[in-house]
Amino acid sequence: MIDEKCYKTYLTSLLDGKRSKCRDIVQKLLDEKIDLKRLYTDLFQRSMYRVGKLWENNRITVAKEHLATSITESLLSLAYPSIFAGERIGKKVVISCAANEFHQIGGKLVADIFELNGWDGYFLGANSPVEDTARFIHETQPDVVGFSLSILSNLDHLKQAIEAVRSDFPNMDLLIGGQAFRWGGIDTIKQYAGTEYIQSLDDLEKMISGM
Amino acid sequence: MEEDQHISLETTAYFKDRAPLLFFLLSDGGQIVDTNQYAKAITGRHLIGENIKDVMVDFNDSFHLSALLKDSSKEHLLNISTASDLPQSFYFSFKKIINQIVVFGRLDTEELEIMRKELVSLNQELSNLMRALHKSNVQLKRLNEEKNRFLGMAAHDLRKPISLIIAYSEFLIEEAQDLLNTDQIGFLNTINASCVFMKYLVDDFLDVSAIEAGRFELDLQPAIICEVLANSLRLNRLQADKKGIDLQVNSDESLPPIIIDAPKIEQAMTNLVSNAIEHASPDSLVSISLACDQQFLIFAVKDNGPGMSPDEMGKLFKPFEKTSAKKTAGEKSTGLGMLITRKVIEAHDGKIWVDSKVGEGTMVNFKIPMAKG
Repeated sequence: MIDEKCYKTYLTSLLDGKRSKCRDIVQKLLDEKIDLKRLYTDLFQRSMYRVGKLWENNRITVAKEHLATSITESLLSLAYPSIFAGERIGKKVVISCAANEFHQIGGKLVADIFELNGWDGYFLGANSPVEDTARFIHETQPDVVGFSLSILSNLDHLKQAIEAVRSDFPNMDLLIGGQAFRWGGIDTIKQYAGTEYIQSLDDLEKMISGM
Repeated sequence: MEEDQHISLETTAYFKDRAPLLFFLLSDGGQIVDTNQYAKAITGRHLIGENIKDVMVDFNDSFHLSALLKDSSKEHLLNISTASDLPQSFYFSFKKIINQIVVFGRLDTEELEIMRKELVSLNQELSNLMRALHKSNVQLKRLNEEKNRFLGMAAHDLRKPISLIIAYSEFLIEEAQDLLNTDQIGFLNTINASCVFMKYLVDDFLDVSAIEAGRFELDLQPAIICEVLANSLRLNRLQADKKGIDLQVNSDESLPPIIIDAPKIEQAMTNLVSNAIEHASPDSLVSISLACDQQFLIFAVKDNGPGMSPDEMGKLFKPFEKTSAKKTAGEKSTGLGMLITRKVIEAHDGKIWVDSKVGEGTMVNFKIPMAKG
């Protein structure tokens, strides 16, 4: 469990750009054998949601938001040796961000949650061109493909990506998620058959355990 | 008119207190008479009274106020030293107004925007590569463990049939001599020798798979080190005799007992002496020395073989790597002996090293602490 005091200290350090303080907190939690899913949801996801809200409400600058994101991404690597070490169950997922989508951390957290559940989670990164994503899917032959969207104005790029995957892989299960959908777009996504909207990492966790 | 004056005062106040633009008012000689908050914040200095030249980063002594004042419409790219110790580039304009000089400096926001976007992108790429690297490392580790398990299992299962072939070929060589002709006896000897080599190979595979799987454990017991050396040389002497090599042993018989895994140290010594014999010229000398000081037991073996280049020495402790140094009688080897030997020495908290020069032979040394051992 991550107590409120620990979370607040972490968030303050994150907003102040104190990378080494944040690193110490995460390392201590890892040394205490924290459940990695809790680390992802109760620390990384929660703090980044908060950072996003502060930015949307003009309480912090975009520079501070970028710094917090970059610190969080660097801290994920502390958990990687444990995340990738688990038993594999022989299933694969490819997670990508639509073209022009420069926010990637949400998608990366999703790929890591799949890894924690024994899947091989391949993450293609921000602003992935449709052709590159399609090529990688051809090479990897995953069981599921996921797209993350943070900015709603990129919805058209996401639709293009979905249509490209659908055309090459008509039966591929598609997962869609991201902060963009707080502002709409879910109905658009639901028009595509075999496409599921995932609201949070907890929901993702439940969905994976049912797959 | 009063309103205009008010707006002008407000603008000046905002410009001096908040605007992200450098402003300096200089005397004729370049001394800073007035400046704004941004300039003070970015340089981390009070600035008033300093010469503008001292605010600039000027490696080539190329800052000349008179030259900069020649064309006031022109911008000049100059660097200033900042509070963060990282220089910052600004586009400066210099204009003389009566007896004073007004200086403005602006950042290239377009360039900064490009840099910001690139930095975010590069950081994301780096972080994604880091993730992929971690994932690949775990996958490689898993494959390596799989390989070791397979190697261990295969070697273990091969040991018994090989031992049987060795035993039965020896029986045949001893008991069927009268029934077989010379060629047939020769075949049996070849079968026997090949199987003995195969057994060494399998034993080395088992050792290496145990080492790589982290199952290399020591059975530490007090031992008389001279006896360990004598045991190891027993096998080496046969090998040396075949090549007419004289094993010159310099061992201090009064060495105190030491706590070691004796069979493993014996295996290490045998490997090193055997290597020296293999690389020594026929009818030459291989010197072996065993001594101790206050802290360490020190073992060395020297041959007069072809020696090795530094590149070849780098390959010496890698599995299945064979150096170009020719064995002087075409002896076979598994390429695993040095790796196993190093592991044995390191497991005893010791160190192994090689001195060699092409054409001058090779000396391999190891030392292990007397205390831990």
